[in-house]
Amino acid sequence: MVDWERYKWPIISIIVIIGVLMLMIAIGFTLGILSEDPDGLERALIDIRSEEWLEGLGSAWEPILGWIDNDYIAGIIGILLTIALIIAVFSLISHISKKMKSKNE
Amino acid sequence: MHIPDGLLDPVTIIVLWIVAVFILVIAFWRLNKLFQEEESEKLIPYIGVLAATIFAFQFVNYPVPGGTSGHLVGGTLVGVILGPWAAVIVLFMVLVVQSLFGDGGITALGANTFNMGVIGGIGGFYIVKAILWIFNKTEIKKEIKVPIATAIGSYIAIVLAAFICGIEIGIGGIIPMEIAVAAMVFWHLLIGIGEAIISGLIVWFVYKTKPELIITEKMLGVA
Repeated sequence: MVDWERYKWPIISIIVIIGVLMLMIAIGFTLGILSEDPDGLERALIDIRSEEWLEGLGSAWEPILGWIDNDYIAGIIGILLTIALIIAVFSLISHISKKMKSKNE
Repeated sequence: MHIPDGLLDPVTIIVLWIVAVFILVIAFWRLNKLFQEEESEKLIPYIGVLAATIFAFQFVNYPVPGGTSGHLVGGTLVGVILGPWAAVIVLFMVLVVQSLFGDGGITALGANTFNMGVIGGIGGFYIVKAILWIFNKTEIKKEIKVPIATAIGSYIAIVLAAFICGIEIGIGGIIPMEIAVAAMVFWHLLIGIGEAIISGLIVWFVYKTKPELIITEKMLGVA
């Protein structure tokens, strides 16, 4: 049985993070607080070459989730995927270290 | 800062993948120490929350004068809260998810992990530690000096990562190295200010609300 009480605050935090991100995107772009300008690396590449060159940069891989062009959906999926991956990896590390510890004892 | 596919040469891609994997393996084993403590499992959901925060903040681009924008990278921030080794793993996972969306290349994942996770996370952590070594000679409270050191360390780490990123792009030969390095450092001297403010504020907020989440106080010499 999952001890929900133990995970209450992390779950609330995740919901708050998703909510805040959605608000930041919605209000930020409406008021112009956020920017759709290229970031530092993109700006440097556009200055040196051109925007067309940057857009035409060949990729051997098509991004698996690149077809999602809605910021809100991408944000929610990304946050949930990140949490799932991180919890899986750190749980694995924890599991292995506990196993090693009990073996040593 | 996210290098796309098609910009680096194959040798740079392979070398940086090897370096990144090597450091990730070391990070994996170094974290064993942390997780051998009985209560450490409680930390895992919070590590997930921190990773989600980094992902969310990397989504939010703030305007920077000159027609560019910046967003939090968060390597130094995670390094200060969870330690340098956890920072590498967290940043790698965030970058994996972002690359699935096309933000940063999949072949360039090793390079991006090196720049943002290793330089930002491990490098940034030790820069913060060095700054705190100086602050420790003063009477400033740790709730103040750790956020300030985090802000300064984040700024230095992001500019350093941009410098290394410029070199990596220059090696590929698509853009001359002196131009790539100068452009990357110039823009990140501006963008780094946002990184510093956000990182410092988050550490300050964590100290105010849940200080026990900062598990690196002993390592940073402020316990």
